[in-house]
Amino acid sequence: MRGHRDLQRACLAAVACALVAALAPWEIVRLAAALPLTLFLPGYAIVAAAFGSRELAAPKRAMLSVALSLMTLALGAFVLNIFPFGLETASWAVLLPLVVIAACRGAALRRERPQRGRDARPALPRPVAGSLVLGALAVAIALGALALAEKPLPAENAKGFTALWMLPTDEREDVVAIGVDSNQHDPHSYRLRVSLGKDQSKTYRVELDPGEERVYEVDVPPRPSGRTHVVASLYRAGKPQKLYRRVTSWLPRQMTFP
Amino acid sequence: MQTRLESPAVIALLAAIGLFLCSLANALSRETRDPSQLIYWLGVLLIAVPIFLRLTSSGPSYRERLGLVLLLGLALYGVKIVHDAPLFTLSDEYIHAFNIHQIEKYDHLYHFNPAISTSPYYPGLEGATSALTMLTGASTYLCGTILVGAARLVQMAALFFLFARLSGSARGAGIGVAVYTGTSNFLFWGAQFSYESLSLPLVCVVLMAFVEREEAPPRLRGAWAVPIVLGILAITITHHLSSYALAIIFVALAVLYRVMRVEKPNPWPFAVLAVGSAAAWLLIAAESTTGYLFPVLENALEAIYETAFGDTEARQLFGSPSDTAEAVAGTPIGARAIALLAIAVLGVISLVGLRQVWRRERRNPLAIIFCAFTVAFFAALMLRFAPAAWETGNRAGGYFFIGLSFVAIYGTAQLLRRGPRLMRRRLLLTGALAVVLVGGAISGWSWDLQLARPLKASADGKDIFSEPLALAEFASQRLDGSRFAGPEADARILLHPGGQVAFGGQGPDIEDIVDEPQLRDWQLPLLERNHLPFLVADRRLLSEDTLRGQYFSVKDQYGNELRPKGVVHKFSEIPVGRVWQGGRIVLFNLRDRP
Repeated sequence: MRGHRDLQRACLAAVACALVAALAPWEIVRLAAALPLTLFLPGYAIVAAAFGSRELAAPKRAMLSVALSLMTLALGAFVLNIFPFGLETASWAVLLPLVVIAACRGAALRRERPQRGRDARPALPRPVAGSLVLGALAVAIALGALALAEKPLPAENAKGFTALWMLPTDEREDVVAIGVDSNQHDPHSYRLRVSLGKDQSKTYRVELDPGEERVYEVDVPPRPSGRTHVVASLYRAGKPQKLYRRVTSWLPRQMTFP
Repeated sequence: MQTRLESPAVIALLAAIGLFLCSLANALSRETRDPSQLIYWLGVLLIAVPIFLRLTSSGPSYRERLGLVLLLGLALYGVKIVHDAPLFTLSDEYIHAFNIHQIEKYDHLYHFNPAISTSPYYPGLEGATSALTMLTGASTYLCGTILVGAARLVQMAALFFLFARLSGSARGAGIGVAVYTGTSNFLFWGAQFSYESLSLPLVCVVLMAFVEREEAPPRLRGAWAVPIVLGILAITITHHLSSYALAIIFVALAVLYRVMRVEKPNPWPFAVLAVGSAAAWLLIAAESTTGYLFPVLENALEAIYETAFGDTEARQLFGSPSDTAEAVAGTPIGARAIALLAIAVLGVISLVGLRQVWRRERRNPLAIIFCAFTVAFFAALMLRFAPAAWETGNRAGGYFFIGLSFVAIYGTAQLLRRGPRLMRRRLLLTGALAVVLVGGAISGWSWDLQLARPLKASADGKDIFSEPLALAEFASQRLDGSRFAGPEADARILLHPGGQVAFGGQGPDIEDIVDEPQLRDWQLPLLERNHLPFLVADRRLLSEDTLRGQYFSVKDQYGNELRPKGVVHKFSEIPVGRVWQGGRIVLFNLRDRP
């Protein structure tokens, strides 16, 4: 590949992007490295191998680079699946640079002689300052639109609710976790009553802010035979007699269908 | 002044403002303020109309036109993103996101999907997205959105190059792509994270590469065969219908080349490859496709027959595509008129275009195929009257519209000839393109769903979730890898983000189990046979609606109609354990009992 600077750069970029994407701890950095590695470089290398350096106009080359990268990803998954290790970070981080290097090698062999001297890329028109400002403003507004879309907003008329749940904490099933999860718009108070068989019960006062969850762990007393019927009942502070939510379990669970 | 207003930077700024208006309308809707849709449609028009107007001008260069169609594609894709972000909300998106979850879990493809069992056998999209999710650690939503966005840009560029090469006019190519944005699935359904959103752009790339190959000097034909061959293979493993459509196109081309005695190499090798790979994939890897596709096509044919002979009442146009029993807001008369006007505009443009294409391009086999596509598009519109066939017609329209857009280049060329009142004619064409875009969007997506609904909301600075999403989050955190049965909307959101194996619908017949208020003899054995211990009972009438059932219920607007109490009580009375209870949804564990 000596002398073919674009191919050398593509190979180096592929290896560097793969290393950064696979090893960097920050998602944004990994994303920045993975995007060219997945969506551009494989296609660029394949186009170079197929067409040589001067046979294709830049817009078509760019489009084909992305399109062939997408095809490489789809077919690459199919290829990786054949191997026992399958699809994982490391296998993608190896496969994609391999595709780029192999295709660049093929491109270098097909090209008659190395590119030398001046870079013959077509000169892009110099942007006017006003256009740059307008373009930057457009990008900022578009990002604002996306940020607004991602932001959860108050939805006053949406019906809020509080969920109650109960699960054993481990396989022995001698302790249950009982959760009260508020998806209400305002703080609410509740009374949680947990009955363990016919004899025992525990009561908790629960105060929840919106989006807050409280989890209580309750020991289930062992029984010499049979199962303990555990019932968790939730009452709203304002309506203490009216059952609001109820969850139940027979522990240890039978694990067969009725 | 006019030149300044039509400069690319101003057009980009207007597109960004349009996108912001769309986002604002969706935000107001998520705030449950029931805003006017006018804000949203104004945003869509602000994105598209300046671009359309510029594309009708003779001024822009080839590259500027390409930039404009890319901007158009990106900004209209943005309309879908600001509708949904940051979660998948379209019914097929949950299914494909679950496939990625399975790939990440098992490091291999082809793992079971309870919603569409054939989808794991077409893993092109999910395999490609898994590369991004694994290499970045980012969410499936972000990676899927980036990937489909890249595919969308590729599609716009490929259509532009295809039309420019075939028609010999960059101006015509830009207008052709502008017409294509009026296909009814362009704005939402075709932009979702689903296999066709990758395969259809690749079909456009293959067609474009084929046309370029035909025009290329012999030494470059081999080079252009590379994207064609790789494209055919990638499409084969990505989407069944796209691979069949491509195979049909290549077979038709091979036949036409032979019949018309075209003095260029016959493309039969590509036809053999397309047919062979699609058939081989169907037989070797994706046998379940026949069981998935054939009933749909059979039902469509039956519906056409029954509707034509009056055995079944014709489907009402602009009705909700959902089978929900809850009433949804109908499409207003004005919007219906725009949708019908769009069809009329396309009809006129196509009639003129067909005549012109026949006169000027009838020696070109692909142009003949595109003419056939144009006729087929209008024939497929008739399927919208048949209740079980409307979806087939709607989906086929995405492919036929490629041909129609090409024919429209010739249909609109008359309007843009030099002469008096050119500006007026440009404005007329711009208006027609706007009508086609808005009309397509109206006929392709239910009126009540054009604006977003709240899935997450904020209260006191914290996030609160809709009931189905809260259940999915609970399942994701506490019941990893469990098997569920539930109404279809709940089942989908349990697939993703819940990450659970969740069955809904009719195969097996979960729908009757969760919708009927009485417990029948066959219901518990069926759940046991399918190893489904967790059962979601949901009183909301929207719970079977995969497009509407995942959101908050909103007072006086939607999500308030209920099924009989029996849909929950029948399981309480067995009795079995109740694991989770929200407002209207109860999760039972059938293996937890006295």
